[in-house]
Amino acid sequence: MKAFKTMALTLVCLLLGIAIAWQYSSVNENLVLAQYEKKNLSQLVEELLMERNNNENLRARIEELQQEVDALKNDENMDMKYVEDLKKSVLMARVMAGLETVKGTGLVITVESGGQIKVKASHIQELLNELKASDVQALSVNDERIVATSEVREAGDYIMINGRQLVPPYTIKAIGDPDRMERSLRLMGGVLAKYQVYEFNVTLEKSDNVVIPAVRDDGTVIRTDKLTPVTQ
Amino acid sequence: MVKTHKILMFVVFLLLGMLITLQFRGIIQNNEGQMSIKELAASLEAEEAEGRRLLEELNNLEAEWSQLLNNIGSRQRDPEIMALINQRDYEYFRAGLTNVRGNGIVITMQDAQTAGSGDIEDYIIHDADITGILNELRINGAEAISINGERILGTSKLVCAGPTIFLNKSRYPPPYVIKAIGDPDILYDAIDQLPNVAIMRIYGIRIDIRKEYDMVIEKYRLYESVDEWLSHLEVVSE
Repeated sequence: MKAFKTMALTLVCLLLGIAIAWQYSSVNENLVLAQYEKKNLSQLVEELLMERNNNENLRARIEELQQEVDALKNDENMDMKYVEDLKKSVLMARVMAGLETVKGTGLVITVESGGQIKVKASHIQELLNELKASDVQALSVNDERIVATSEVREAGDYIMINGRQLVPPYTIKAIGDPDRMERSLRLMGGVLAKYQVYEFNVTLEKSDNVVIPAVRDDGTVIRTDKLTPVTQ
Repeated sequence: MVKTHKILMFVVFLLLGMLITLQFRGIIQNNEGQMSIKELAASLEAEEAEGRRLLEELNNLEAEWSQLLNNIGSRQRDPEIMALINQRDYEYFRAGLTNVRGNGIVITMQDAQTAGSGDIEDYIIHDADITGILNELRINGAEAISINGERILGTSKLVCAGPTIFLNKSRYPPPYVIKAIGDPDILYDAIDQLPNVAIMRIYGIRIDIRKEYDMVIEKYRLYESVDEWLSHLEVVSE
């Protein structure tokens, strides 16, 4: 009788132990799952906002183009409008290509080595990429305009952009939304935090009048000798 | 009597334990998170469909617009206007607003199929890997570059967004197809010998490089109003 009682008690305790362990592990597992779902949720929200924003932009572009088309169709003085449009398109394309000097609101950043570590091409490239990620509209390093074919390369103690050797301190000018660009540069673990670790001397200034010069137009930076335009 | 009582207690406790366990699992699995994820996914899908529709509308409108301009252009006899048309075509060509044809290379990159030991981050492609390749292409004389059909300009955005990349205005999952027009041999050797390409290959990231002749790289597309795109700047006339 006593032996049976002990055995029953042991069995109950054993089952209880298993149940608790099972419970614990399942709760734990669910916590991980819940976390994953939460991350998924914020990612979904982010994607949704991005898609909405993209669609807003598309609608604005469609409206803009529709107006152009309507104006071309309806304007009695169509040829006048046409010439005006042509001139506008030429200018817009030249701005996009970096062939026009532009000014606007933005940031002026200077970077210089402050200790053992030299400022390398890759450091500057990281900064440029971060600015591009914040929707920069025009960009230059030591007044070399960054265009579609601009390289950033190491050349001994200096860096080279657009085939020109640049010497420190490097002055990066960026036209765009100054607050947004500054925020992304100052992110935790971001570009400026890294620069601090490298002991670079950095200045950052917001300005309403950042002037960025045009790229030199001699066929050495914007090269087209290997390209043929495809006419539709 | 005592024996029956004990067995009864045993069964009751057993049931209780099972009930509590089931309860916990049920609560966590049925939390409202799942419901809103479903809703969000549905709205995202709707928004994406709307985006595709808008893009098609924009395509049609662009075709109509350029047709209209061509019609008006072909009527022009004024040499000044004809010179202006030529200038427009030339500047569009230089700005990346025209499809272009030429020889070059095509690089196809895909995440590793299975992650080995170590950090999972090493087995997927990052924005810095791609911007590094873009820079190398430019150093070696590439004249036009696109990634997954998006023409890359001087200010083009390229950021990692989870397992995808965000390019200009859109998000792309792998594989990433980089096309570059330039000297095919020079470009091929430059990318094939890039240290970071060798490192990525060690981790099993698949990078295929091939020379391609007479390929087309698409023009940059405006996905937003021009005024918005250049909202922060004005032209300084000299």
